[in-house]
Amino acid sequence: MSRERNRNYRQRVDEALATPRLQEALHTFGDAYVIARQNAFAGLDFEAMRTEIAEMKDHVREHRQDLVAEFTRNAEAAGAKVYLARTAEDANRYIAELAMQHGVKKVVKSKSMASEETHLNRALKAAGVEALETDLGEWIIQLAGQRPSHMVMPAIHMFRDEVAALFGKVTGQVESDDIPHLVQVAREQLRQGYFDADMGISGANMAIAETGGIALITNEGNARLATTLPKIHVALVGLEKLVPTLEDATKVMRVLPRNATGQLLTSYVTWIRGAVPCGDGDKELHIVLLDNGRSALAESPQCRDALRCIKCGACANVCPVYQTVGGHVFGHIYISAIGVILTAFYHGLENAADLVKACIGCRACVAVCPSAIDLEGIILHLREVLGDEEGIGTGKALVFKHIMRNRKLFHSMIRAASLLQKPVTRGERSIRHLPLFFSSLTEWRTLPAIAEKPLRDTWQAMPQRLDKPRYRVAFFAGCLNDFVYPEMGGDLVKVLNHLNVEVFFPKEQNCCGVPALYSGDRETAVALAEQNIEAMLADQPDFVVTTCPTCTMSLQRDFLELLQDNPVWAEKARQLADITIDVSRFIVDKLDGKAVFTDASGQEKVTYHDSCHLKRGAGVWEQPRQLLAGSGREVVEMAHSDRCCGFGGSYSFTSHPDIAKHILNDKVKDIEATGATCVAMDCPGCIMQIRGGLEKQEKSVRAKHTIELLAETLP
Amino acid sequence: MLNQFAEALKKVGGQVTEVATAREAAVYIAGRINGTVLLPPQSSLERAGLAAALEAEGVTVIKDSWREHAPAAGAGVTGVNFALADTGTLVLDSTAESLRLTTTLPERHFALLDPCKILADSLDAVPYLRGFHERAPRNYLAYITGPSRTADIERVLTIGVHGPRELHVLLMPGLSADFYEL
Repeated sequence: MSRERNRNYRQRVDEALATPRLQEALHTFGDAYVIARQNAFAGLDFEAMRTEIAEMKDHVREHRQDLVAEFTRNAEAAGAKVYLARTAEDANRYIAELAMQHGVKKVVKSKSMASEETHLNRALKAAGVEALETDLGEWIIQLAGQRPSHMVMPAIHMFRDEVAALFGKVTGQVESDDIPHLVQVAREQLRQGYFDADMGISGANMAIAETGGIALITNEGNARLATTLPKIHVALVGLEKLVPTLEDATKVMRVLPRNATGQLLTSYVTWIRGAVPCGDGDKELHIVLLDNGRSALAESPQCRDALRCIKCGACANVCPVYQTVGGHVFGHIYISAIGVILTAFYHGLENAADLVKACIGCRACVAVCPSAIDLEGIILHLREVLGDEEGIGTGKALVFKHIMRNRKLFHSMIRAASLLQKPVTRGERSIRHLPLFFSSLTEWRTLPAIAEKPLRDTWQAMPQRLDKPRYRVAFFAGCLNDFVYPEMGGDLVKVLNHLNVEVFFPKEQNCCGVPALYSGDRETAVALAEQNIEAMLADQPDFVVTTCPTCTMSLQRDFLELLQDNPVWAEKARQLADITIDVSRFIVDKLDGKAVFTDASGQEKVTYHDSCHLKRGAGVWEQPRQLLAGSGREVVEMAHSDRCCGFGGSYSFTSHPDIAKHILNDKVKDIEATGATCVAMDCPGCIMQIRGGLEKQEKSVRAKHTIELLAETLP
Repeated sequence: MLNQFAEALKKVGGQVTEVATAREAAVYIAGRINGTVLLPPQSSLERAGLAAALEAEGVTVIKDSWREHAPAAGAGVTGVNFALADTGTLVLDSTAESLRLTTTLPERHFALLDPCKILADSLDAVPYLRGFHERAPRNYLAYITGPSRTADIERVLTIGVHGPRELHVLLMPGLSADFYEL
């Protein structure tokens, strides 16, 4: 089953990657979105707004039973009928039976993701009821027999010529692909539907407990028609849409359009309470509150924040994976980061299994989420659950459990690999081609060779003669610094010694555990956390300095989380987290070293790439720029400087190299467009990826760690 | 506040004009329509004598049988309960079905707003929303911000999908200072 599923998934990935105009469209949209969103929030405090929404939504989750009761009471007092549907089937059955009881032959629908979630149209068809989608995007995909590829813009994957062909089939004539014309065709074709239908079906963006009313946030006007003309109105509403008061609803309304499309407000916000007048009598209003996995989600401490989602779709808009493959690959019914999580709970873990691995972990979505959901964190948790259920693959399990946890064995195997690679490296530092079935690994980037001598073996040979050092710091190198880029360690010593800081290398340090954790092997991650805490705290350093932001996040955040319930380790993990700091921030914030490194020798033009875990994890992006500018270099900004480079650890090696390659190509283009001769960054993983891409494409731009560029200014 | 409202509304494709009397409003409307005009009963517009003023300009004014007449009507004319400055939004108590048909089906919507009824933003509107709910047990309240729009085909902004293609706001001082009156 899972093999079949994976094969289908891989096929969809290949198809999407072979559709360059889809990628172009999603990239263009993503760029325009960022600007529109920024303008829409001008003068407003986004952080404060999303904190408010998060707190309100958490309150709703905790008090959901009371709020459902309050909503139901108020809605029924206003003449509505409220039905609580436990499952998708339950909701569909209720609506289909209602249609049959009233002899409904035709239904007009306004956009409702909940009805996509339950496959309502299919259920209606089985009951002999024709459902007509009236939202333009939904109508297009209904005609095409597809599913939405975006929560807000369901037909974003389709193009005008395709739409013209679909509309032509409806009208029986050739339709021009002029967009205003196509919109006019939709207006004319759908208009009569509202009059012919006996039932209108809508979703809702908010269900307000205080009034028993619902609110719809829309642009086209079809929801107003679908909730006005037919005699019966059914609103299918996910339970997470409940809000306590009109103030709360207004707060959601202020944020949703701004974050979804960069609009200050949509054309229409419609507040409906109760059975309002309809023709000669009153409307029959049914509100179906949909559970379908939401209660289970509320009970999951690791995942429940996902219920805060207000369905704005922003997590897709900024996602490099979504921009590369679209929502039909990176999504089930709900798409992108939130889609991965909701799919697991609403449509089953089985349907989420491939998607959980498709996230590259760049946290771009977390930065724009209007409900402050740690989407990446939840996806990582689901990866662990999946690792437990389906296994993480025998190869990985062997490496993590039996090799990595045993540091000496792990390290001696890397040393052995350093010798074994000689035939392909021919003594050079970059591997440009690999033989046979490994060849695809170096098809689109070169790979660095494992260093002849790791940093740990050469450390003692670096003399540090400081009389009265300001600080004694321990260096947590991480595997890449230790075994692949040991020279960066030398540069670190040189730079920090210049600032009168002594650096030592605790030899018992091991892999930070991220590869295991991100692959779903929590047990190994815990074992490595304990080894590293022991090793790093042993000599009581003033600080633990890192050059890899992924390691930084591991030491600062993941160890705490992994060991929080362990009375022996929790306190030590806290101690380590408190003194861990990445090197650029250490130099600027702790050593005031902004203006210490000045280079009279040249005016190199440098552009800076923000590593995901440094900017959105550790919150560091100004310091390296300050250091580079302070060193006399001209710093020029590239477009999308904080967009992921596509590395993602094993993501670019084994899980999704094909997607990683596309994301890297985007980055290389952005770097090249600046005209810089050097791209700086603070992450050895990004260096591996970006340097590999630049070398393979034979660009004359060097990729360097900030610490290397600082060292260049010293004699 | 008035300027902010007008700027915000223009940004989303609405048109704003100032009129001093019902006659001026009628002249503005009559010059921009084809066919009939829907005019549901609204006390502020009745007080101003708008129906008679429109008829004096040769406009056929529909005052009943909304479902029958609305599909073919050229325009709808309404008052406004109040407006929101920051987004250029009109708030209309649309509980009466005639109000909804008037503001959804025709291609043009003319809305007469007393400029003294403009609030800063949607948070300021909440007490009034609550007020509507307290005054009547069932409500259909509409926030209208510009004409109907879509970007569902290739994200190209297109005005006028299912609702009005044009939204004209006629600012008429002295029309009504009551936030609960249309």
